[in-house]
Amino acid sequence: MKKTAAYDQKRRPIKKILNSLLPFVSITCLFLLWFYASNINPDLVPSPASTWERLIQLFVKPVNKMNLFGHVWASLQRVFIALACATVLGVTVGVMIGWSKTFKAIFGTLFELIRPIPPIAWLPIIIMWFGIGEFPKILIVFIGTFMPIVVNTYTGIRLVMPLHLDVARMFNASNRQLLFEVAIPSALPPIFAGIRNATSSGWMTVLAAEMIASKAGLGFLITRGMDYFDVPLILVGMLAIGIVGALLAIITEFIERLLCPWNKKLEQD
Amino acid sequence: MPNDDVKIKVRNLTKYFGDLHVLDNISFDVKKGEFLCVVGPTGCGKTTFLNLLTKLIPPTSGELYINDEPADPKIHNISFAFQEPSAFPWLTVEQNLEFGLKIKNIPKDVIKTRVERIIKLLGLEQFRKSYPHQLSVSSEQRIIIGRSFAMYPDLLLMDEPYGQMDIKMRYYLEDEVIKLWKEFGSTVIFITHNIEEAVYLAERILILSNKPSTIKKEVVVDLPRPRDFTDPKFVEIRKYVTELIKWW
Repeated sequence: MKKTAAYDQKRRPIKKILNSLLPFVSITCLFLLWFYASNINPDLVPSPASTWERLIQLFVKPVNKMNLFGHVWASLQRVFIALACATVLGVTVGVMIGWSKTFKAIFGTLFELIRPIPPIAWLPIIIMWFGIGEFPKILIVFIGTFMPIVVNTYTGIRLVMPLHLDVARMFNASNRQLLFEVAIPSALPPIFAGIRNATSSGWMTVLAAEMIASKAGLGFLITRGMDYFDVPLILVGMLAIGIVGALLAIITEFIERLLCPWNKKLEQD
Repeated sequence: MPNDDVKIKVRNLTKYFGDLHVLDNISFDVKKGEFLCVVGPTGCGKTTFLNLLTKLIPPTSGELYINDEPADPKIHNISFAFQEPSAFPWLTVEQNLEFGLKIKNIPKDVIKTRVERIIKLLGLEQFRKSYPHQLSVSSEQRIIIGRSFAMYPDLLLMDEPYGQMDIKMRYYLEDEVIKLWKEFGSTVIFITHNIEEAVYLAERILILSNKPSTIKKEVVVDLPRPRDFTDPKFVEIRKYVTELIKWW
């Protein structure tokens, strides 16, 4: 028994080092696979080197008067505006559906009916109603971000521990105090999980919206690459989407840690 | 007992859940600043009894009076330490202790003074900015007890707050609750199934009968403090109460 425990302890640091190396191994494998594929058909799969060159060229000769950062910022701006509106409205609606039985009776079913419609399905009708300007794109992203925030807020409010409400009632808390001092703070971790989902969903939606009708943004960059058979440009766009998406996830988690320091789940991660 | 000393009056408290008769015509008085323990056989309705006193659930009949007025959570200050860990996870130790006082719109400087006093008494200085999940279960329970005492309640109800603790921690927390009670002079009704705990804490013990529960007996515990579990008088009272609870 003792021998096994000592053996395990010896092995633990090795396992730790191995685990920290594995992400680099997988990224290297992906690059090797990329090299291999680009050797087979360089027209359809450009090599990492030519993709890098295309990226540099994008700064020298911008597409539609914008370099890569300009396009990233154009997409991000749409997401941020939509996300800000969706957070304010989504949390309000979610709290109301979760807290008031009457509100749930009026809007609950209606919401469940609209929720399964993916934001992209709204695209044609929104273009027909509002054209192809900035507002319809933000509206599509808003639809994609609003839903997860409402659902998570509603669930968070429904899951407030009755014991916590009883404690506050014991101190003779009013209905308003029960909501603002107990229910909403207690629901903050699920609300933030909703905002995190909404951010990634918003990021995906904005690209889809830009691919259909836009003159700036990463989605536009990819469509431009497809139209001009500029495959390296498509890859540059895709890589930028991946990197910005990952950065957004890190930033939202950082904000969540800052605003919900009591959340055990974050500490365990 | 002179009448002007009586803080709490419970009169003819009866509770039915459908056909189930849980409490039957319970009446008793509690003096101002008294520490009263309630014991009884398992499942006799101790928690129901306490819940009726909190006014969270209504009795079938009977009334609770505080200072000769029907108890009203809007006028009177009734505090309740729950059996389960009930500290708010999103608030720090300090904020948890402030919670009830803020709800009652007590002036800020009063809140500060009271909370400081509790933190000092419970030795929680180094944990004031910690969240409950960063503390041990026993420390979390201390926050709950502290939060109740911070209200300077007219009546403090405690429902087996140490039920989940091991014996060593229990002794420690029992001494702590006595310290707070002496310091604040609160009127306490403490429910427990642990007879030793009741004899250690109480000035008077109410023994409930099996369902439908009535008060079977009142036992006055006039031992000096700090009490000694091995004192022959302590053992004698403990045995006496145990005999009265026995239903087998």
